[in-house]
Amino acid sequence: MTLSAETVLHELEMDVVVRSVRVESDGVRSLELAPAAAGDRLPPWTPGAHIDVLLGSGADALVRQYSLCGDAGEAEDRGSWRIAVLRTEDSRGGSRYVHDTLREGDIVTVRGPRNHFALAGSPRYLFIAGGIGITPILPMLAQAEAAGADWRLVYGGRSRAAMAFTDRLAAYGGKVALVPQDEQGPLDLDGLLGTPEPDTLVYCCGPAGLLDAVEAKCASWPSGVLHMERFTPIAADDAQNLEFTVVLQRSGLTLTVPADKSVYSVCRENDVSVLASCLEGICGTCETEVLDGEVEHRDAILDEHERAANNTMMICVSRCRGGKLTLDL
Amino acid sequence: MKPHKTGRAHASGTGSVTRFPRDAWYALARADEVGRSPAGRVVHGTGVVLYRTSAGTVAALADRCAHRPYPLSLGRVAGDLLISSYSGFAYGPDGRVVSVPTQKRVPVGAAVRAYPVREYAGLVWVWTGSPGLASRRPLPALPWLTEPDWTTFGADWETAAAGGLLQDNFADITHVPHLDPALAPPVLHQVPPRLDVEVTEQQVRFRRDFPPARLQTWQSEATGLPPEGEYAQHEEGWFAAPGLWADRWDVLVPGEPLTLHFTHALTPVDERRTRHYWAVSRNFSPKPETTGILRPILDGYYRKVKDALEVMQALVDREGPAPEVRVRADAALLEVRRVMRRLLTEDTAR
Repeated sequence: MTLSAETVLHELEMDVVVRSVRVESDGVRSLELAPAAAGDRLPPWTPGAHIDVLLGSGADALVRQYSLCGDAGEAEDRGSWRIAVLRTEDSRGGSRYVHDTLREGDIVTVRGPRNHFALAGSPRYLFIAGGIGITPILPMLAQAEAAGADWRLVYGGRSRAAMAFTDRLAAYGGKVALVPQDEQGPLDLDGLLGTPEPDTLVYCCGPAGLLDAVEAKCASWPSGVLHMERFTPIAADDAQNLEFTVVLQRSGLTLTVPADKSVYSVCRENDVSVLASCLEGICGTCETEVLDGEVEHRDAILDEHERAANNTMMICVSRCRGGKLTLDL
Repeated sequence: MKPHKTGRAHASGTGSVTRFPRDAWYALARADEVGRSPAGRVVHGTGVVLYRTSAGTVAALADRCAHRPYPLSLGRVAGDLLISSYSGFAYGPDGRVVSVPTQKRVPVGAAVRAYPVREYAGLVWVWTGSPGLASRRPLPALPWLTEPDWTTFGADWETAAAGGLLQDNFADITHVPHLDPALAPPVLHQVPPRLDVEVTEQQVRFRRDFPPARLQTWQSEATGLPPEGEYAQHEEGWFAAPGLWADRWDVLVPGEPLTLHFTHALTPVDERRTRHYWAVSRNFSPKPETTGILRPILDGYYRKVKDALEVMQALVDREGPAPEVRVRADAALLEVRRVMRRLLTEDTAR
């Protein structure tokens, strides 16, 4: 057997300095991140993109995904990125670290950007944001405006004081409706989504309850109009896992995936370089083309139609129904 | 209802990307080709006319008179206006009709499309998408084409092949020793070293580091390094934007490496033809004799690439697309196609 050239695939990883910290609302801070090394440039991105932020070090190290919420097009924003983080008490540690530990001048490592929530071209948009879910929507508004699209945003939050970026949104005037829950109650999804609107794409980001409700309300809309982003993994019972065979077509390898390992980790053990980041089925980095076999999907990215299409899988969590999968790796 | 994702959309598995996004910058001419006479170009199958105003700035308009389907590039420039030599309609650099020969008043709203345009790195770049987005998507910086310590030569021509085939070619350099053994440095004939592929949302970069080896004859002639010497070398390829590739090759010597930058502006004329502007820049030996050594080698290689891609296009035209066998070294190529598919779904102008 001849040795194939070793190929290592990875995302851009870069050290950035926290150039400034800004309080955006009760509980929300935004960080401006700029390259730590002189001469480094941040790569371009488009609305909906997010980055990994590697927080802390050693055993306490955390990797968290945050949407880029600066204006991708503003000249002064080209040299830096902005992320915004809500302080949550039930947080898995990321938001507490950002709020309590990170200071101006600190250096953190970031990965990406990547985008699984890209703003598709359309003459008209309806944006629905709940709470900190406003972050990926913000740059979308600027792009929709620049492209000359017709759009409106409905933005709900606990209270006016808790809602971030209301100053930036004020510039858009009547296109933006702020709905503080303590004043106006929850978002009126029936009124918003009850009647499908023609040529309109719906972009929604917010807490899981809002996403579920919007998904249900959009059932009567044409397929393909609803775009959402989730940042919470779907629970799975690993005790039921079965062993299966995976054929890596490009690499010319046939491997066994034991019940206690993922396709991703088996690839790594066999020197097959694949992209991955969160390892819990939420970031979409490890999406891999499926050539044959039926996938048991366990990620939070693909919807039921995409799952049924069986074209791709997230190899960090998803497994095999039946004994064998063939992948484009 | 189907929530739609626009991330790593799955590949067709049948061949190359043929469509290019409109929301992007494309090179339409060398800066020295655009003057006070209109110059007609085609991108995405649509005509664009370029000319310079009296102040020297470039205007880019739809190359089709609003009155009759006659190209404005066959007209003439008077002051800042472009005048159709069929209808006599006169257009300003913003595309608006400022006068018509047969009446005093200009028909309301009479205009042709005006494109955002930038002159950079010796080329005239036109934004073919939604005009409002142009200022939000800057061209990648190409300092080796704008700073004085680099010496550059190049050429441009049309390749009768889809832009995707050119992108595939630049993303997969493993073909070089097969296509042009005399060009390929000896290290490319050995077992290839580790290929490092780095991706971001919109760009893909690959790198390889070669252990010390002898140089190809043209390399030692151009650099003045002894042919019996052995030098470590470094290669990089960069998919910077849909219409822009940049590669580099370093020969590592004490101090600054001896570097060649290879810049490729790729402009989709239509789904089967691509305008290819290439430039080779070096940070050593600026004298014309060195250009005389390098130019025939690179020009010859890029012509071989053109011929090979035209053969591929003819084959695809005859037989249609077919599944392709992929190897691990295709990682960069597959990531580039992924970015291209994503950018197409994001396109605001259709």
